[in-house]
Amino acid sequence: MSKPELWVIAERRLDHVEPTTQQLITKAKHLAGDHFKVITILLEATADHLENELTAYGPDEIRIVRDDRFPTATDAEHADALKQLVDDYQPNSILFGATITGRSIAPRLQAKLQTGLTADCLDLRFDDDTLVATKPSYGDNIMCEIICPDHRPQMASVRPNTFVATPAPGDAKITTATVTVHPVDRLNLTTARPVVNTATTVGDANRVVALGRGAASAATIDTATKLAEKLGGRIGVSRPLTDQDRFTHDDQIGQSGNTIHPELILNFGISGAVQYLVGMQDSQTIVAVNADAQAPIFDVADYGYVGDAQAFMSALLAQFN
Amino acid sequence: MKIVVCIKQVPETNDVTIDPVTHNLDRRGLAGVMNPFDKNAVEQALQLKDADKDAEVVLLSMGPDDYAESLREGMAMGADAGVLLSDRAFAGADTLATGYVIAQAIKQIGNVDLVLFGRQAVDADTGQVGPIVAEFLHQPQITYAASLRLSGTNEVTAERLLEDTKQTLVATLPAVVSVRSELNTPRYPTPRNIQLSFAKPLTVWHHDDLDLDDSRLGQAGSPTIVTKVYAPEPVKRELTPLTGTPTEAANQLITALKNRQLI
Repeated sequence: MSKPELWVIAERRLDHVEPTTQQLITKAKHLAGDHFKVITILLEATADHLENELTAYGPDEIRIVRDDRFPTATDAEHADALKQLVDDYQPNSILFGATITGRSIAPRLQAKLQTGLTADCLDLRFDDDTLVATKPSYGDNIMCEIICPDHRPQMASVRPNTFVATPAPGDAKITTATVTVHPVDRLNLTTARPVVNTATTVGDANRVVALGRGAASAATIDTATKLAEKLGGRIGVSRPLTDQDRFTHDDQIGQSGNTIHPELILNFGISGAVQYLVGMQDSQTIVAVNADAQAPIFDVADYGYVGDAQAFMSALLAQFN
Repeated sequence: MKIVVCIKQVPETNDVTIDPVTHNLDRRGLAGVMNPFDKNAVEQALQLKDADKDAEVVLLSMGPDDYAESLREGMAMGADAGVLLSDRAFAGADTLATGYVIAQAIKQIGNVDLVLFGRQAVDADTGQVGPIVAEFLHQPQITYAASLRLSGTNEVTAERLLEDTKQTLVATLPAVVSVRSELNTPRYPTPRNIQLSFAKPLTVWHHDDLDLDDSRLGQAGSPTIVTKVYAPEPVKRELTPLTGTPTEAANQLITALKNRQLI
């Protein structure tokens, strides 16, 4: 019989807590109501005080396990420590951030517990004490609701930035727990260094000129680049254009990653696959130019022009000049 | 050295729809192909084989008989053999039940030094089966490897790229590694390799060919249940059409953007 504990597994990112942890605490508090206690599980070194980054978000309890091996522990070692905690405390549900680390440790723990895990969720709710997890599939084209009715704990990983972390009142009780660390000598983490990622993604831009299959020629991309400069914005692309060498995942809108909400987006030659539309529909002003009057992009646009993308773009650029 | 690469067959396109009557996923008419991310794992295995001619690359997949197609595709790239796990008893498996059968099959293949996975399947997008298999085999795992090389007779070294950290990990074999797509560019099957592939063994293992606990198979062995499948509905807006020549339409847009104080 599981206890009414809803766990959020805190993730370390170098010397800090990875931000998805705080986002999950806020969501967990909304889910918990009066029925569940929100417990943050934190594995840290003896001199660490990462709990100081968590108390402001108001979990009911921060349960800390301290061991100097945790900062360099491997996935299997983390999963082993968490398995011991689950055996000791029998939580109802466990939430992980769907970061690379979360997506590596959670299934390993799932296999130890032989329970259900739903990956990369975009929403969560409880029906009584059953967790209903909404998970995208087929490149975000399809949503599935998944439950784990007969096994406890229920597990889910949640896509980063799906929820907003909000500070909340409450005195988080700080407690400690112990586990036996079983080092795995067949795998060693020899170095870990920060990667300075200076490349901006299309998600950072406030104005976006978005290009799709119908606006993919070199000349059109050239015109679009000038237009984006005039607007103080950035180019974004739909999936077909990521096949071109000059565009990467950082430039892609929709699907597994870049959900964007700039104040202005101009869509050229994009018909509007569902995952694309869902990925940019929270933009403040949406403009669409497409040769096909029936293209789905027009359903979600504020302004639309049926015609040639290059011709319209050139005319618009001429107005700016 | 024996390398097993686990592959999944997926629909050729992700543009699937929901049947409005049954609310089921409509996959009719969609051809199956090898999961694109799995090709990076096959390529990685073949590069290890290029460096060590004695290495043997075995492809492993679980699914209906037509999954033989993607096994043939991988053998045409250069893999030595294929094993398909196909049985009605395996149907309806979630990641846990899938991982169990795959792990049992790897034990059956025997003396496997390295198990490779792609980062995730493009249809279900979970990336879970690799770590599950590693746990069931009690082996070290390296997920999301950005590079992988043999660094000793019985050892691999990998770089693992987290969101803003690069780790170096050294594993003693046997081990399970899942690879990122940035790792390599998968080779195309050459006409000669396609020709050669038809002579390579493709074995189908059914339920009775493996040592299995029936309570861990298929739907019965799957803790999770999909209760609802739906297409996300974009929120519609009221469209103001821009009309006339491109220049006229561009003028209308400029006016509208000025009214919205966007320019």
